[in-house]
Amino acid sequence: MQQLMDHVQFRTALENAIKGKSANKAPFSIAWASGKLSRAHLARWAENHYHYVGPFADYLGYIYARMPEQYQEAKDFLLANMYEEEIGGDRHTDLLIRFAEACGTSAARVKDPDNMTPTTRGLQSWCYSVAMREDPIVAVAGLVVGLESQVPSIYRKQTPTLREKYKFTDEEVEFFDLHIVSDEIHGERGYQIVLEHANTVELQQRCLKICEIGAQMRLLYTTALYHDYVAKDIPLSELETAETRVPADERALLQA
Amino acid sequence: MPNVVFHRNGQTFHGEIKENANLVVRAGIRQFPYPNFLYGCGMGKCGKCASLIIKGGEHLPEPNWKEKKRLGARIERGYRLACQLWISHDIELSQEATPLADVVAPGGVG
Repeated sequence: MQQLMDHVQFRTALENAIKGKSANKAPFSIAWASGKLSRAHLARWAENHYHYVGPFADYLGYIYARMPEQYQEAKDFLLANMYEEEIGGDRHTDLLIRFAEACGTSAARVKDPDNMTPTTRGLQSWCYSVAMREDPIVAVAGLVVGLESQVPSIYRKQTPTLREKYKFTDEEVEFFDLHIVSDEIHGERGYQIVLEHANTVELQQRCLKICEIGAQMRLLYTTALYHDYVAKDIPLSELETAETRVPADERALLQA
Repeated sequence: MPNVVFHRNGQTFHGEIKENANLVVRAGIRQFPYPNFLYGCGMGKCGKCASLIIKGGEHLPEPNWKEKKRLGARIERGYRLACQLWISHDIELSQEATPLADVVAPGGVG
């Protein structure tokens, strides 16, 4: 029978659930980290990524509305997170579009939902579903702890690669820069909320499960990007050679 | 672990932080120097976290493009954007109520 975990045990369990099991083998990530993607490939990534992260404030809005009123601090956090995504500084999606334009695509193409793959649509739908239907604490675990908290470590690795291997300018990759600070705050506060309010065995287990599913969804999304856009140009055999030159931690960090 | 000495509005606050910590991130997650540290967007745009580095500046990396763009010549006077700094050594810094306004005003903090 499962036992109620203390905060230290529960946090460790969440971190392990987020890591997933086979994410570091995703070919799109290996191609990105080894500098093999073209700007056209990165443009397709941006066109898809927009539809995954673009509605993040919408996802949070659903959670906000269903968060019990006595969880004032959690509600305030969600509201602040939404504000920062949209109007706290530069709108985050505007910076994603700036990167996309540097890759050779256009704002119109990025915003057009017809340019996302069915798998990206599936990831977006999963995010909406979690936000609208799960217990709000479980939803925070899935979307903020499971997805958003991973972004700083991922982008801390991606940004130098984009500058050094792909030769983007500082301004072109600002989308990746800014998330290092804001999402570190959001992710950590998400952890604080989940650790405090997931106070039954059942809630803790549901939080762990949704983080595990989130890792699977990220992997599904990333894997589809390779097959839909990159496979025709870069066969897996070429990536297997490159894989040995890409540090394992870098591959793992490039999943989202 | 780095020690931080932080001055604001005539008060001095002391705290110890983990290596490679960012003061804006810490304030954002409700740890020292919260609730006394001013910050805003966390993306090097608003300038609210601008801080005068009093000691320990030699251990910081060179100002990045956002700091250069936002602070300009104020960098020469010792100002940095805290949101862009990950701190690994002891540091002493100060913030005024409206940091950038103060440093651009004639005869302001220098």
